[in-house]
Amino acid sequence: MTPNEALPLAVIVSSLLPGLIIFALPERRVGLRSALNLLGAVAKLAFVIMLLVGVDAGEEYGFRHTVLPGVELVFKADALALLFVTLSTVLWLFTTVYAIGYLEDSPHRSRFFGFFSLCVTATVGLAMAGNLFTFFVFYELLTLSTFPLVVHRGTPQAMRGGTVYLAYTLAGGALLLTGIVWLHGLMGQVDFVHGGSVAALGPQAEAQLKVVFLLLIAGVGVKAAIVPLHGWLPQAMVAPAPVSALLHAVAVVKAGAFGIVRIVYEVYGVEYAQSLGLLEPLAIAAAITIVWGSLRALTQDDLKKRLAYSTVSQVSYIALGVALFGPVGTIGGLVHLVHQGIMKITLFFAAGNYAETLGVHKVSELDGAGRRMPLTSAAFSIAAFGMIGVAPTAGYVSKWYLGEGALAAGMDWVVAVLWTSSLLNAAYFLPILYRLWFRPRPAAWPAEHIPAHGWRETGWLLLAPPLVTAAAVLVTGVFAEAVWSPLAWAKLIAAREYLQ
Amino acid sequence: MILASLIASLGWPLALLLALWPARTRRLAQALAPLAPLPALWAAAVLPEAAVLELPSVLLGTRLGLDATGRLFLLFTALTWLAAGLYARAYLAHDARRTAFWAFFLATQAGNLGLCLALDLASFYTAYALMTFAAYGLVVHTSTAEAWRAGRIYLVMAVLGELTLIAGLMMTAHAAGSPLVADLRAASPSPLAVGLVTAGLGVKVGLPLLHLWLPLAHPVAPVPASAVLSGVMLKAGLLGWLRFLPLGQAAYPEAGAALLTLGLLAMFYGVALGLTQRDLKVVLAYSSVSQMGFMSLGVGAGLVAPQSWPLLLPAVGLYALHHALAKSALFLGAGVALQAGGRLWVLAGLALPALALAGAPLTSGWLAKTTLKAGLTDLPPLWAAAAAALLPLAAAGTTLLMARLLWLAARLQGKGAAGGLAPVWLAWTLAGIVLPWALLPAGAAAGGPSPPLMATALWPMALGLALAGLAAFLRLRLPVVPPGDLVVPVERVIRALARLRDPHQAMG
Repeated sequence: MTPNEALPLAVIVSSLLPGLIIFALPERRVGLRSALNLLGAVAKLAFVIMLLVGVDAGEEYGFRHTVLPGVELVFKADALALLFVTLSTVLWLFTTVYAIGYLEDSPHRSRFFGFFSLCVTATVGLAMAGNLFTFFVFYELLTLSTFPLVVHRGTPQAMRGGTVYLAYTLAGGALLLTGIVWLHGLMGQVDFVHGGSVAALGPQAEAQLKVVFLLLIAGVGVKAAIVPLHGWLPQAMVAPAPVSALLHAVAVVKAGAFGIVRIVYEVYGVEYAQSLGLLEPLAIAAAITIVWGSLRALTQDDLKKRLAYSTVSQVSYIALGVALFGPVGTIGGLVHLVHQGIMKITLFFAAGNYAETLGVHKVSELDGAGRRMPLTSAAFSIAAFGMIGVAPTAGYVSKWYLGEGALAAGMDWVVAVLWTSSLLNAAYFLPILYRLWFRPRPAAWPAEHIPAHGWRETGWLLLAPPLVTAAAVLVTGVFAEAVWSPLAWAKLIAAREYLQ
Repeated sequence: MILASLIASLGWPLALLLALWPARTRRLAQALAPLAPLPALWAAAVLPEAAVLELPSVLLGTRLGLDATGRLFLLFTALTWLAAGLYARAYLAHDARRTAFWAFFLATQAGNLGLCLALDLASFYTAYALMTFAAYGLVVHTSTAEAWRAGRIYLVMAVLGELTLIAGLMMTAHAAGSPLVADLRAASPSPLAVGLVTAGLGVKVGLPLLHLWLPLAHPVAPVPASAVLSGVMLKAGLLGWLRFLPLGQAAYPEAGAALLTLGLLAMFYGVALGLTQRDLKVVLAYSSVSQMGFMSLGVGAGLVAPQSWPLLLPAVGLYALHHALAKSALFLGAGVALQAGGRLWVLAGLALPALALAGAPLTSGWLAKTTLKAGLTDLPPLWAAAAAALLPLAAAGTTLLMARLLWLAARLQGKGAAGGLAPVWLAWTLAGIVLPWALLPAGAAAGGPSPPLMATALWPMALGLALAGLAAFLRLRLPVVPPGDLVVPVERVIRALARLRDPHQAMG
């Protein structure tokens, strides 16, 4: 095995191995478990950095393994894969730190962290999948490894949320599998290649290809929470905050959005998808989701539920960018994959901090929380402004490129969608900021678990992750055009996808 | 040196803002906060025109620097913030929440100064957004029920304005293929893009119907904040127009006609509603709506008749300078009057900027109005005739409104000594008389003072004073219109809709 084959494997193994060991660890080995978790996360980051440097220089990474004749597991760590892998790896590191702090002294931590590691393993595997079959394997692994996390608390509410989650995602998986098998029947194994490969089937297959597109997109659209396939996401918010971070930012919804990217660009090819007239309906579905999610978010008093509906809306920006025919829209969609991740994870970390520290779960209980927890609230505010799209945050950059992409594609109506969505974002985030900073604090918090000590408003492990990710929201926005920014990487991908 | 100067202009207010947080440096930061605009002032005074700082990796590719327009705006913006800051030190001496005030004051200021330096749309918008959102803290500072209501309306309209602006800028940038002001100004955006930019910034400028927040938010803020809100922050919208509209390039008859109409309407609407007010600061806020109408008129003329833009640009700049100085002096003076009562020296101090606003000969207002009129001659005949007929009447209206202001001020009962407020105010009032002449942009007021020009300025004032005298003689009772005028029915409709949707819960 050459180094260029081994490196992608190392990225997968670096979380798989610690995960398997952790399952076997007794509950009380907190130190060893945390060390394994962090070691895996740091090692994975190191491997990813090596991949990034290599891919930037034009190296190609990947390997194939034949499972059955005609069915191969294929991995390729190209620029697009690395966009998602890097995001997941970095956010996984923060989420692990946060989860260690969040789950201090709670039961079943070995089980939790075991599945936690499997979840990120599935995510990076899916990101580096080089064909539809491999993608599907890891897509299902992701479903199975996140289900125990969603129901972790074991309450009736959690079980119900988990059941809904499983029903939706397994049904989505079935649709995806149907599409893949159909396509296999037409042309054999479908590798992901720049510019797509199905166009070679010729005009007589067009009708079938349209149906297959619908099946594939609906299959991944469940995880991407495209309306009306989004019902599981608000239910799943019963999960603990670190799991919400995984669902909303690191892994699950991203896996769906990423699937859309791969299917449009590397199965169908964006030019061919456009010629079949598939992109405009996708853009319309994304636009409906964007507005619908925001409308539902407006009326939620449960903070995590409001954030969940906000995710429904925001993740479809990625699909929207993909559906805008042209490199600028692609850049907007791809960069939002990263930007949405760092913004939403900040919001969920902060929501978790309010719950763990003060027992606050509802928007209406947040009055004056900014005085009690200024750092958490500052992080929340930065991310909220990002979601609205106020400069100089990451969200501004996303929306700008999406808008410019829409105009370049001649789809001017998308600007009206962005306008409406941003207005709704403001309408459900600004009242929270108003409560945090401008309302007087209550005489007592619902359930204050962690007392304040000077600067330390809550545990360090809970405080540090949102501060770092909030800083990232600002840095990726302010230095959007720097060579190391997510935007620069998205431009690199777009250049490679369109210059075929 | 350019780099250091530009960084200090924005960095110094922001550094003071950060220094407010730790208890150890808080007192020092508060003591230095009024001096926050000094580096920007220095930059406006000495930086050469060619000085441009390119930061290609920041935002969408940032360019900071000073062209003639930016320098003028930075100069009066920094000066007004300096005066307001010095005034605020005395005004807030006994305010328990002054740390919060200074924090919002400095953040708003950094945004306001930054947008004068921005030569690309992303950095302009960044600074503009910082200014807009931070100013919310100034509006609601007093924490009264009126302040919360004003703040809510301010924020809703500000967000609508910014999103509309961004949509317009997206389209303009798409047409230009570049985020730089120089390229945006040379592009030919669609009429829709021009309309969106005009309307989005029009919220800040206070165009009629987009002004609803203004008579609520400006008066409810603490006096030094009102002075900068009305004096310079409205001009941020105007500067945006100058930066992003294709003025002097191509004719945009529809947008231009709309802006001309709204400008003319604003002049009289502001006066008419201002006259019905009892609160000095609300009168002044409506006067701002009226005065911004003159500047909107100039920009609208530039859209209709691009060939006259070389004459109009200095006129609009001069008008902005004049109004910034006069209106901030009037707000600071209103604060003194509310404290010390309608004493003679207070009324005399208020009368000076009031005369300037009315366009009395040899004042900054006279200079600005004469220059503006000269720029309007090249309009299509109908517009030229309308402007020629209505501008003197608007000046008469301003005189009437200022008479009303002084009359209201004269009847105020004092609550105590004005303390440290008066010296800052009086110094600023005097500065407002001298500075416009010292800073006169080249090419402005080419004619110079001459007897016929003075006569044309005098009759509208005489008319205004005569009307004021007549009203006083007849003891005319004016109807009372609630501040924010049309916002009241709008709020009712929204409440009714909220009740329809959720009968148990009124609007929060």
